[in-house]
Amino acid sequence: MTTAASATLPAQGSGTAFTDPTVTDPGGALLRLLTDRSADLPEVDPGHVAAAALRGRHAGSDFAELRGLAVDAAASMIAEDPQYSKLAARLLALEIVDEANSQGSTSFSASIAVGHTEGLIGDTTAEFVAKHAAALDALIDTAGDDRFEYFGLRTVQSRYLLRHPITRKVIETPQHFLLRVACGLAVGDNEQSVREVAELYGLMSRLEYLTSSPTLFNSGTRHPQMSSCYLLDSPLDNLDSIYNRYAQIARLSKHAGGIGLSYSRIRSRGSLIRGTNGKSNGIVPFLRTLDSSVAAVNQGGRRKGAACVYLETWHADIEEFLELRDNTGEEARRTHNLNLAHWIPDEFMRRVNANEDWSLFSPADVPELVDLWGADFDEAYRKAELAGKAVRTIPAQTLYARMMRTLAQTGNGWMTFKDASNRAANQTALPGRTVHSSNLCTEILEVTDDSETAVCNLGSVNLGAHVALDARADDLINAMDWERLDATVRTAVTFLDRVVDINFYPTTEAGTSNSRWRPVGLGVMGLQDVFFKLRIDFDSADAARLSTLIAERIMLTAYERSADLAEQLGRHEAYGETRAARGELHIDHFPTAAPQWADRWTALRARIAETGLRNSLLLAIAPTATIASIAGVYECIEPQVSNLFKRETLSGEFLQVNPYLVRELKELGVWDQQTRDSLRDANGSVQDLNWLPAEVRSLYRTAWELPQRALIDLAAARMPYLDQSQSLNLFMAAPTIGKLSSMYAYAWKVGLKTTYYLRSRPATRIAQAAPGAARAAAPVPVNTPTLTPEQEAALACSLENPESCEACQ
Amino acid sequence: MSDDREKMLLDPGFELTLRPMRYPSFYDRYRDAIKNTWTVEEVDLHSDVADLAKLSEGERHMIGRLVAFFATGDSIVANNVVLSLYKHINSPEARLYLSRQLFEEAVHVQFYLTLLDTYLPDPEDRNAAFAAVENIPSIHQKAQFCFKYMNAVDHIDSLQSKEDRRAFLLNLICFAACVEGLFFYGAFAYVYWFRSRGLLHGLATGTNWVFRDESMHMDFAFSVVDTVREEEPDLFDDEMAKQVTEMLEEAVEAELQFAQDLCGEGLPGMNTASMREYLQAVADQRLARLGLPIRYGSANPFGFMELQNVQELTNFFERRVSAYQVAVEGSVSFDDEF
Repeated sequence: MTTAASATLPAQGSGTAFTDPTVTDPGGALLRLLTDRSADLPEVDPGHVAAAALRGRHAGSDFAELRGLAVDAAASMIAEDPQYSKLAARLLALEIVDEANSQGSTSFSASIAVGHTEGLIGDTTAEFVAKHAAALDALIDTAGDDRFEYFGLRTVQSRYLLRHPITRKVIETPQHFLLRVACGLAVGDNEQSVREVAELYGLMSRLEYLTSSPTLFNSGTRHPQMSSCYLLDSPLDNLDSIYNRYAQIARLSKHAGGIGLSYSRIRSRGSLIRGTNGKSNGIVPFLRTLDSSVAAVNQGGRRKGAACVYLETWHADIEEFLELRDNTGEEARRTHNLNLAHWIPDEFMRRVNANEDWSLFSPADVPELVDLWGADFDEAYRKAELAGKAVRTIPAQTLYARMMRTLAQTGNGWMTFKDASNRAANQTALPGRTVHSSNLCTEILEVTDDSETAVCNLGSVNLGAHVALDARADDLINAMDWERLDATVRTAVTFLDRVVDINFYPTTEAGTSNSRWRPVGLGVMGLQDVFFKLRIDFDSADAARLSTLIAERIMLTAYERSADLAEQLGRHEAYGETRAARGELHIDHFPTAAPQWADRWTALRARIAETGLRNSLLLAIAPTATIASIAGVYECIEPQVSNLFKRETLSGEFLQVNPYLVRELKELGVWDQQTRDSLRDANGSVQDLNWLPAEVRSLYRTAWELPQRALIDLAAARMPYLDQSQSLNLFMAAPTIGKLSSMYAYAWKVGLKTTYYLRSRPATRIAQAAPGAARAAAPVPVNTPTLTPEQEAALACSLENPESCEACQ
Repeated sequence: MSDDREKMLLDPGFELTLRPMRYPSFYDRYRDAIKNTWTVEEVDLHSDVADLAKLSEGERHMIGRLVAFFATGDSIVANNVVLSLYKHINSPEARLYLSRQLFEEAVHVQFYLTLLDTYLPDPEDRNAAFAAVENIPSIHQKAQFCFKYMNAVDHIDSLQSKEDRRAFLLNLICFAACVEGLFFYGAFAYVYWFRSRGLLHGLATGTNWVFRDESMHMDFAFSVVDTVREEEPDLFDDEMAKQVTEMLEEAVEAELQFAQDLCGEGLPGMNTASMREYLQAVADQRLARLGLPIRYGSANPFGFMELQNVQELTNFFERRVSAYQVAVEGSVSFDDEF
């Protein structure tokens, strides 16, 4: 009976031997599968996983269901040892391959054919794949799936793989999916095209580089909308324009684009409307409609639409704008789906610093302000004040304090700086060309006007995968595999540039702008991984130096590649209107920048003077939330948030544990139950684990435990080498107005263009649902809220509790 | 203090003095709770409706029962806050906290009402859900359990005797350890089981916040117990220990027959046997918190409930972050450390 089931598994087989209906002992078959797939994972106990899976079985559970339960069981043990993540991923990969096979997708070319028949795959891609079927099928890297961690693969499965429109079963495996994305960006129809596709597929299959989610979703499909970001200028101050913008936004949102939108041109509350002789209700009612519209349009069924509204700080509705996301007050004046950002002129920050007054205007009275920046703005603003056009005047610090309060309460109301964003922008060479806002994630800065919607295509290099083999912290200049990084950047830029031509543009305003400027946004992920691998503290001088070197190298190579492309394919249409065409590069706006590769910069300048550029902008550091989890690295340029945390996504909840920490603790011989429990009880912090060496505790500080000044300094140091901007989250467990106002004033002073979320922590934590087993019969403080040291200090200092006030003694 | 003995928390009366403050930790709890304010409007239920259509027969039955339980559960707790806890815990700081708890219970009732209206479009089904306390045996039994401990203090106007105080403590412990701490924890497990399979995120989001609130309520009640134990240790005799243990046993059984109704033959990853271990592990934890010997020695079998303890990092595209504090203090400055 059991001989059939005990047949040896092929190393990369789909495990179908185990789905054989003649198998009468699915439990035994499961254990054999688990044992086989964990042969090289010494920390994994297959019996443990099998037992947990069998506990969840019910009458009628078949082998496939047991395997599914085993995936969940292994996933729930990742906090014990990260190797369980590998096992869970391998089991899940079997499940996916079986499912794809059941839909007829037994090879890459077959999967494309199925997708084409079902109306999902575009004709061009289907023809390209059919013609080169053998060569493309041979590209599939059979070791590819084994590079995923569980989180990454689960995300790919639940969100990215194409599904049959009726059966809802996946019709591609993870490797088919990545190759499909690459084929969707093929140019031409010859062997050279296949070689190029192989290059991009290779990078992605090795998780060294990933394109942005919209490209992963849509490349090769019938509606290849592959851009992540759209930036729209404010509607004009009339009803037709306002409603026209809703329609544009709905179309962009439908195809998975995130929206950045200025609202600074719309007159404020109480302004006269000449047409009806009535008074305006201001921007809030219109933003309510936008809120509903954004929620109604769901991005291809995969995620909810998302938009960020930017308002200039002088707009007289600013105070109501600040309340839009409060969870109290009149619902008719709340927008829970919109993100909010401030577009702040330097003049405001100067007056905050000097504790001066600030005047608020209705755009109907000062329409010119929206399009001005720098000295021109300052002059026009003061002139309007002198002319008595202000609706009212308030102390600048009063407004600033309210902005800080909103950030603390909602995480929203992002601080982005209009003048810094325009001053160094390549697209603002001509008067009247203005960056009016950033995008949904505050990393894109491009000019917009009523007829041009800015577009950006993104991709991110996995820095963790480019650390040199023999990297050492005392030899930073050789810490990265620079040549391989150059090669990755060259391929990335080549394909990002192609997106501009192949992309499906949901509106003509977007198509118009993109063909003129051809901006792309190459970013990074896994900077924290680099620091962990080299054992560099995030707030050290070494971290700042290496992070800046990386930014410089990527910028150099990206610009060199764009110049090559300009030579081969032509400059972008509006090249003549850029600062680059005037010999002015982004780095020139940062006189204190000290580049490492001066010779290459000199050569690059000469080259650009000759060839021009294919792209007006090349760099932007996006948050990479989802693609970083696919690649299994930390997000973009961010420090780790915790050594142990739960991630909730649409595909369920996942637990992550810092694998670098675990490896180190194993070497120290302290990865034991006590350490695991303490790590969990401390919410993923190692600061109080006093049995660990000080340097370990220092290296594995979390974003909450690092000085935020260091994050800002790192961001400022890379600024010369970043022609757009970066999604810079800041973290403060227990924010106060004093700390926040100091922090953001500093961010402005060092010249950051934009900042992103302020992350803070809940006031209290959920009680432990149930620990592994009730630990002891003695009273345990089951759900004492876990407080950060700052919160504890604040609590200890509470006037209500004088006995425990140690902080003040 | 002119009285010959210190005032105590369960002394009859309506104490008004807040200065000097006798129980500052209750006041701190009140302030912390305010920072956790959330509103039903923040919960987005839109994807749940699509998920409901995908559920199997067994899963739909489970959800129907859960909604019916939720619809009435928080109202019963709120009633007990008013009829028993607010009346007898004689500290203005504690009554501030209880006022806040009452508000939170109201938000929970509103949340589950909104959920019910969203999940059950048919008015007849909605009526049936509210009649569940009478009509559905598995819910009726849990309600009877609650009423038993409510009735036990019903006739007590003020806690004059030791016996009155013990009856009150049993009522307090019943609602903290058994109703909020076990019945609700049982219900949360089903919700998170759905979520672990990518289903019913709206329900899970609201439940996250309910969970956080319930944890605080339970913790408050236990700290009242701690305080009373310090002030009147003689109330906590062997008889009391026996009664509390039996009460938890009874609660586990009540919740288990509810589990049998919900799980039927069992669903993938969720069945009565696992639920039994989970409830026993939770009950042990409550006993341990109360300083009593554990009763079962069971381990939690649900990985997805372990996850509940760990810090969340929400990808903002997908879900509103539930972590923000409401109260924030201070004034503009340029040289604070950050």
